[in-house]
Amino acid sequence: MKYIRIAAATAAIALAATACGGGDDDKDKSGSGKDPAQLKVWMMGDGTPEQTKFLDTVETEFKQKHPNTDVQIKYVPWPQVATTFQKAAAGGEGPDVTELGNTDVQSHVEQGSLADISDNFSGWADGKTLNKTALENDQSGGKTYAVPWYGGVRGIWYRTDWFQELGIQPPKTWADLTAAAKKVQDSKKVPGIGAPSDQTNALVSFIWGNGGEVATKDGGKWAGKLDQPQAVEAVNYYTGLVTKEKVAPEQYIGKNELEGPQRDFALGKLGMYIDGSWALKEMKKVSAKDEGKWGVFPIPSKTGGNAPVMAGGSDLAVWKDSKAKSVAFDYITVLNTAKNAKAWADYSGFSSMRSDVKFSDPKLEIFTQIASNTKFTPISAGWGEFEQAKKVLPNALKAIMQGKAADGELKKANEQANTLLNS
Amino acid sequence: MLDTAPAVRKPPGRKNPGRARSLRRPRFGPYLLIAPTVVVIAVLMFWPMIQIGIMSFQKVGNRQLRGEPAESVGTENFRTILNDPFFWQTLRQTVLFAVVAVTLTLVIGTLIGLLLNKLGKRMSSFVAGGVMVAWATPPVTAAIIFSWLFGSTGGLVNWSLDLLPDFLVGGGWNDYNWFATPLSTYTVLTVCVVWQACPFVAVSVLAGLKSVPSELYEAARVDGSGPWRTFWSITYPILKPIFFVLLVMSIIWDFKVFTQLFVMSGMANRDAFNLSLYAYSEAFGSLNPKLGMGSAIALVFTMILLVVTALYVRVMVRQGETR
Repeated sequence: MKYIRIAAATAAIALAATACGGGDDDKDKSGSGKDPAQLKVWMMGDGTPEQTKFLDTVETEFKQKHPNTDVQIKYVPWPQVATTFQKAAAGGEGPDVTELGNTDVQSHVEQGSLADISDNFSGWADGKTLNKTALENDQSGGKTYAVPWYGGVRGIWYRTDWFQELGIQPPKTWADLTAAAKKVQDSKKVPGIGAPSDQTNALVSFIWGNGGEVATKDGGKWAGKLDQPQAVEAVNYYTGLVTKEKVAPEQYIGKNELEGPQRDFALGKLGMYIDGSWALKEMKKVSAKDEGKWGVFPIPSKTGGNAPVMAGGSDLAVWKDSKAKSVAFDYITVLNTAKNAKAWADYSGFSSMRSDVKFSDPKLEIFTQIASNTKFTPISAGWGEFEQAKKVLPNALKAIMQGKAADGELKKANEQANTLLNS
Repeated sequence: MLDTAPAVRKPPGRKNPGRARSLRRPRFGPYLLIAPTVVVIAVLMFWPMIQIGIMSFQKVGNRQLRGEPAESVGTENFRTILNDPFFWQTLRQTVLFAVVAVTLTLVIGTLIGLLLNKLGKRMSSFVAGGVMVAWATPPVTAAIIFSWLFGSTGGLVNWSLDLLPDFLVGGGWNDYNWFATPLSTYTVLTVCVVWQACPFVAVSVLAGLKSVPSELYEAARVDGSGPWRTFWSITYPILKPIFFVLLVMSIIWDFKVFTQLFVMSGMANRDAFNLSLYAYSEAFGSLNPKLGMGSAIALVFTMILLVVTALYVRVMVRQGETR
């Protein structure tokens, strides 16, 4: 008797304890029948009135071809992307057309959630204008699963007025960069540059700019290169901005560029920071007071010249469970006509992946030049695990910035790369 | 919860006649009444729990979510976890945090409860209203507010600490990053969680205090007892069952804190992970979910909590019987 009561009470309490956790599983079965009268399009990000307006014009154009199909847009905020796609896979509630982060494409292909669009693609005339490197990332085993839409590359944002006043030229080498940061820090009493630990897409430019690699593929197998001297030196330079040179503040340890640097730069409380063309729109929201004084220069390599930059961006794909795959692909072609691509680039600040589309805003022109020298983080399904779930490099960087030896931390990170990228 | 306690107690002088009768002739009425609740709980709670149990022995990723049969991996998930030093680190952090947070919650909550009992009617409702706001704040909102308060640009805490004289608190607070090390992260987390949890304790204690006959306190005062003695000799023994319930619930709540830590330090600070975050990062962290691993961690976690609760419930039941 006593033990039954104990057991019952225990179970009740355990239930009460778990009750608060569950219950966000709102699978709604009503729309599971794929109606060709409706095309579901998923766009990543929070969605803005301007973006909705742009997509409305795309829909009007699309309807000239498919007058009976309504386009339904759903915005998926970036932080929820992984869980939303997991739900889509589990509940069969996927989109017809979806935008995808380009580093995620290979994971999706691996999981078999994207439709093979090789045939549609070869019949699309505009397909030839698309960036070849970006397209490679969308292919696997000779088949095409997605098409590049827009891309973004990073540069170093700086204050043109401060550089002019202090007589600084846009840095061409690492030593220049440190010197510039020091000068700004000393005379403007703000930290010289932001070097957050959770910004792998910026860090890789330093590794590549020193002739290093994150990992390379040898005979079908990924081999980590983070323990090589070039990578170690690059990481030491980047973390040294915080620890040795003290031109980057400690307050960004454990953070990414959006959790401080962007806001602080926009407010005039930070000399330089690394971000992409899309940051302009965000920074204007924080404070447009100094907008005219913001400029960008390419991330320098160690000894001079532009370092290769990570070609971030988004691609468009047709979901495998879609009942109207060719209509879905038609939507992609309309979304990415030269006219629409330009309108999108000018609104979003991302470069179009079409070689025939350029920015209208001269401030962003430099990004077109930066984008001529791009590279990719390892095209492996394991990269998601390495960079998103385990955040191996951000955590290694954090440890190094807090005093651990770079050799040891990178060796551990490299072992992780060897396992995770090949799993 | 407490009001029902006396009803369960056996009427004096009778030897359990109800039990004997129900052995002979089982009555279905009560079970019928409780059935809807049990069904709902079974569907929404037991079924997912059973699923977690099954999944913890399998390899489950997006392919399996799409309908492919999951491959059984035996106890591999558990072996991976238990051999991972990181698991033990997160466990240690979870336990340490729970110990500190539970203690602070109970102490501060009780003090607020005593204060509410002492205050006059108007002031008491005013203070109660104040603490209720903390209670009513959703954890996400609270976490965002606290990460702003302790933020490095425009953070109120750093700004105030910087204004204080340097010999008192030291200098350089403006750039201080609260979320850089586990210790400081957990300091902020503790403040945030305790701030939200103590109103519940305060209100429960207050409810208990209202039921203590005032003659007892009068007698104590006549005997020359101070507030400290009065609390430990009268209030605490009478409210003991309440404290037990609060203790167990606080332990469970503080063990499974997730939202606040996720918002404050997130995935990029693995050194500050607790068990929930570890499970989340394995299960949902990337586009390649490892739901099997996540389930295994959740199961281990649940087991630990069950042991803790079982111990306390045992003590609680014993106390109830000897009283």
